[in-house]
Amino acid sequence: MSLYIEKLSVLYKENSHAIQALEEVNLELHSGKCLSIIGESGSGKTTLALACLGLLPKNASIEGEIRLNGRPVDYDDEKSLNDLRWAEISIVFQNGAANLNPVHRIIDQVAEPLIHRKGIGHEEAISSAAKILGEFGLGHNECNRFPQQLSGGQIQRALLAMALIMDPDVLILDEPTCGLDALTKSMVANIIRETKDKNKAVLLITHDLEFAERNSDVVAMLYLGQIMETLPSKDLFHSPMHPYTMAMVRAYPAMNTARDLGGIRGDAFYRTMHQHGHKKGAVYRHTHIQSPGYEHESGHAPSTGCIFQNRCTQAVDACRLEPVALEVIGGHEVRCVRHGIVDILSLKGVEKKYGDVVALNSTNFTIKAGEVFSLVGETGSGKTTLAMIAAGVLKPENGKRIFEGKDMDDWIRSDYESFSRKTGVVFQNPAEAISHRFTVFEAVAEPLRIHGLFNNNDELNTKVKEALGYVHLSTDTAFLGRYPHELNMGALQRVSIARALVLKPSLLIADEPTSSLDPSVQAKVIKLLLELQTELGLSMLFVTHDIGLARKISDRIGVMLSGRLVEVGPASLIIERPAHPYTRLLIDSVSGIPPDFPKSQLTLASNSGCPFTERCNRVKDVCKHKNPSLIGIEERLVACHYPLISKNVK
Amino acid sequence: MNIRFKKGLFRDRWFTVGFFLAVFFAALTLFGPALSPFDPWDMSFEPISPPTADHILGVNDGGQDIFSELLYAIRNTVVFGLISGLVALGLGVLIGIVAGWSGGLIDIILMRISDVFLAVPVIMVLILIAALFRPAPLFLALILAGFMWPTISKTIRAQTLSTREAPHIRAAQQMGGSSWYIIHRHLMPEIFPLYLIGFAAKCRMAVFMEASLAFLGLFDPSRKSLGMMISYAIKYYYLDIWWNWLLPPIACLSLLIMTVTFLAISLEKVLDPRLKDTLKESTA
Repeated sequence: MSLYIEKLSVLYKENSHAIQALEEVNLELHSGKCLSIIGESGSGKTTLALACLGLLPKNASIEGEIRLNGRPVDYDDEKSLNDLRWAEISIVFQNGAANLNPVHRIIDQVAEPLIHRKGIGHEEAISSAAKILGEFGLGHNECNRFPQQLSGGQIQRALLAMALIMDPDVLILDEPTCGLDALTKSMVANIIRETKDKNKAVLLITHDLEFAERNSDVVAMLYLGQIMETLPSKDLFHSPMHPYTMAMVRAYPAMNTARDLGGIRGDAFYRTMHQHGHKKGAVYRHTHIQSPGYEHESGHAPSTGCIFQNRCTQAVDACRLEPVALEVIGGHEVRCVRHGIVDILSLKGVEKKYGDVVALNSTNFTIKAGEVFSLVGETGSGKTTLAMIAAGVLKPENGKRIFEGKDMDDWIRSDYESFSRKTGVVFQNPAEAISHRFTVFEAVAEPLRIHGLFNNNDELNTKVKEALGYVHLSTDTAFLGRYPHELNMGALQRVSIARALVLKPSLLIADEPTSSLDPSVQAKVIKLLLELQTELGLSMLFVTHDIGLARKISDRIGVMLSGRLVEVGPASLIIERPAHPYTRLLIDSVSGIPPDFPKSQLTLASNSGCPFTERCNRVKDVCKHKNPSLIGIEERLVACHYPLISKNVK
Repeated sequence: MNIRFKKGLFRDRWFTVGFFLAVFFAALTLFGPALSPFDPWDMSFEPISPPTADHILGVNDGGQDIFSELLYAIRNTVVFGLISGLVALGLGVLIGIVAGWSGGLIDIILMRISDVFLAVPVIMVLILIAALFRPAPLFLALILAGFMWPTISKTIRAQTLSTREAPHIRAAQQMGGSSWYIIHRHLMPEIFPLYLIGFAAKCRMAVFMEASLAFLGLFDPSRKSLGMMISYAIKYYYLDIWWNWLLPPIACLSLLIMTVTFLAISLEKVLDPRLKDTLKESTA
């Protein structure tokens, strides 16, 4: 008992154009499993559900095959379709009440399939319906009401009862939790579990990521009709492999999400498919993505490449060339030219000494494309050193740096100019980081001048104004001619951000960008940075001593102590349940809880023993002699002999 | 230096005074020969006569018109001071920036060389050279510049060392700015006040040195110079000539030095936008 969908393409025809709702979708749903389809509005989720039931409208043209229990679904044979519906495959539609007939009682509508399809007598059917409705918490009174007399949750229960009354093999739930209260939601979760236990299959269509993660086995990410990634649902939150999946996760307000919600940059509404003659008389069928500002030009070359490219955080030229196929990587099926989310920067064993002082012990870390990574820690913990090594400003004594897949040291040595276009740095104190002899215009134009990236003054003007537009600063002549000392710190830091972004870098490194700002200005600058991070698809390395701030902005956090990374992992996990006592201390210190150790002093990095020994209240002998190395606990790495959470818990 | 020059400059009294003095001396230097009523080498007048309508400042012991002599002398002194000051500044800035920016061995070598030059008593060397070789005044100006650059380069190097660590220079380096770009766009404007101070000091020194050497009679006696005029006038100080013969060259020498100083002070203020606003109203 299973549902196979093979190369399913659906087009909605409209005059000469057609809307491409699905394109070559392959899915397998086995009995006893639950498959979630997740995607933005307009990604084709509901079309997929309707296609399984043969319920697509007349103007839909269908290619490919759907096989239910081994038999192909024949869309032209209305009778066989009718036999399938309710008995073998049933659906709970979205928009509850709209799917029920307002002039019939609930119980009659639930009993209807039994009477008409199974030929069961009216009395018997009604009593079966009353039984199943009772199981879903609808008593005698509610059963005899009309749909408009019930609440949204009760309607959803009635619809579920209706879908399950014929005991189908495949249950399709289209946004079953949309607009439901938490308790009804958990009832839906129960039904999914029970249906799975009965060795039946559930196709769950939702945009509720947390619900999908908890209740399904496999998740398929749908974008504009294409499957971008199919992954085990346990990997959904912490190790997605497609930028689209990651962006969806960042946009979702999960209970333990600490950071402000991100989104996917840009917009896309639907895809249209059309064909027309191209140069040399050939006829091309091709699709377009309808997004804001899109206008069709006639006689153009077909657009090719990945359909997500314009909204992706790691798009490269190769993404524009060929359509991309799904490939299997590490248990996921991923549709990405770059084989999933790439590491924009990875540092391996980097070390830095100033004379005899070790500023940074051998450290490894990576920043993924499109994520915000925060380095937190107290003064002197080596945050800035590490950030400047990442920016290419400082050179580490040892270790390897890889930026966008290339050896960064070689790159810097051979062609620093092209490297420096890839990273933008926002420095700690904007008043010093911008020459006091430069006007706002000159400051923002400086990177363009250095790289000679303009042909005439008009172009320079446009680019500078565009960058100032990013950071919501005025572009009038009076403002452009102002000097740094004439601006307030907030405006100045924004000028500095505009300067860092004017070359459109792929990695933005912000070293305590808000430490000289008051909280209200800080809030504005941070919101701006995050918005830019999303809209420009940047990756960001954020250095701060304020773990509270890091919590609001980062996807992942690295905690630094005495020139070492002592804990690295997803921000939500680390803040919620820190594993290193030092992280605990940092979190407690934000709210001003006095520490419970006798002496407070910053220990210098030493090569023997844990650097936190003197301030740790869990210290044992081994801590004094042996420096803990990073071990993995619950999706994170922590360097502690006696971490706060057990190593066995998973 | 995209600073709103003109607005700020004339609001500054130091600049206004310095500017008019500079225009005055520039005019005298450029048009001196045209303005002078007589040939300064013409010895046909009545020696040591007091000022008359013809001879505004009188006539000296050799029967030459003092006013014409003064105009030629100012010209010589100004040219000597400017050339010597400019060459010393150029050398000092170049060596200072190269040493400070490159650091390491280059820095050590350049600074040891400048130490050697600093240790030499420049006036003695100049007297010796002037006495032994009787070189042309231009050559002497260059030699003087060759001894004056180390103090400029020392200050410029020190400032370069501290300025190159400034965050905005670090930022420019991160952006991919070449050394030349950073030196030219960031470092040189940043240490500009030091050039002015250095140039003013060296010009003063050169003007003074020229006067001293002339005073000591180490130049060609026929070359007109403020120092030489003072030296001759002093011989006749017992006559009542101090106000028409001794005072004019001394006043000119002092005014020249003041001109350079005033301009340096005001430019330094105006060229630094941060100082501009705070010092606008002040007189210091």
